Amino acid sequence: MFEAFFTLFLMMLLSPISTIAVYLAVTERNLLRAVLFSALQSMCYAFLYYILMAPDIVLVYVPVSIGLYPAAILFLIRKTKECE
Amino acid sequence: MLLRRLITVSVLTAFIVLTSYTITVLNVLGELPPRSLRPLAFWFLNTSFTPWLNYFSAMAPETVTAILWDYRGLDTLFETAVFYFAIIASIALFRGIEEKHGGGYVGLSKIVRVVSRVLIPVNIVVAASIAIHGTITPGGGFQAGSAMAVAPLILIIVFSRFFLKEKGLSKNLLIALRGAGLVGVGVASILALALGLLSGGYAFIFQNQPKEAAPIGLPPDVLGFPAGTLLIFNLFEFIAVFAGFTIIFILLSIPEDVAREALHGKH
Repeated sequence: MFEAFFTLFLMMLLSPISTIAVYLAVTERNLLRAVLFSALQSMCYAFLYYILMAPDIVLVYVPVSIGLYPAAILFLIRKTKECE
Repeated sequence: MLLRRLITVSVLTAFIVLTSYTITVLNVLGELPPRSLRPLAFWFLNTSFTPWLNYFSAMAPETVTAILWDYRGLDTLFETAVFYFAIIASIALFRGIEEKHGGGYVGLSKIVRVVSRVLIPVNIVVAASIAIHGTITPGGGFQAGSAMAVAPLILIIVFSRFFLKEKGLSKNLLIALRGAGLVGVGVASILALALGLLSGGYAFIFQNQPKEAAPIGLPPDVLGFPAGTLLIFNLFEFIAVFAGFTIIFILLSIPEDVAREALHGKH
């Protein structure tokens, strides 16, 4: 019973944080900060996938969306300008 | 400005809450997933590792890998092909851009370099274990390849991309590795068919375990470790994905002025 409530509590905590991170990533004018917000959203999603018992997705989501994707975007930002 | 932001956030929040409420509590889209689809999941979970039903089984305790490389293996092959063509397109975009001079790089501070030296072997071991254990625990080729690709990415950022080149991990070697990975996936997909043709029997493309109409299949385990075609697919996909991502990062790390110079000349 406690575990079910804890799981539900974590989901209720992580889902709004991810939504707020998406909002901030879209509205932020500094692109570097926007990438960090996007990585924060990915981190929340990674935890959510783990809570929802999808370890296969977690294993691919963690390196791709927290490591490779922000790195690719950061490389691309370096080729353009830091602010919109 | 603040009021406008507040209104946007309130509208967004209301939209998310209402959509979630109507889909989950009010069931406007019907039951999700539909009841008619549930026997399918039941079938996969019940047949992925059943030695007593070996004509139906993929003989791998990891159901997700069994689905990816056996039940719907052809889909995964096409996904691999799409990824391959995306990498080819990136290489084509960056053609002719090569920085000749190397060496003399400094890299980040000593602390970062030492920490990276400690962490990178751990990263490689974890990635290899995800690939090799892909038939028994969550994981598989793509997961392992993308986890492994983080290692050269860290090396590029912390040391330099010339460091990779010095250690022998050049773009051309990675393209060769990627090709080898893909050839391996291709060969594994017709392995049972080739065995069937050689022994005069009957077999399918993408066949893993023996089927009733085609009794030729790959050994379900090697020294007690679940194998079949799934292990071969996982290992080669691991190499292909790792090489693909690393090529992209080597290309992306070329500074913009070098790329411009190669495209437009010195002026």
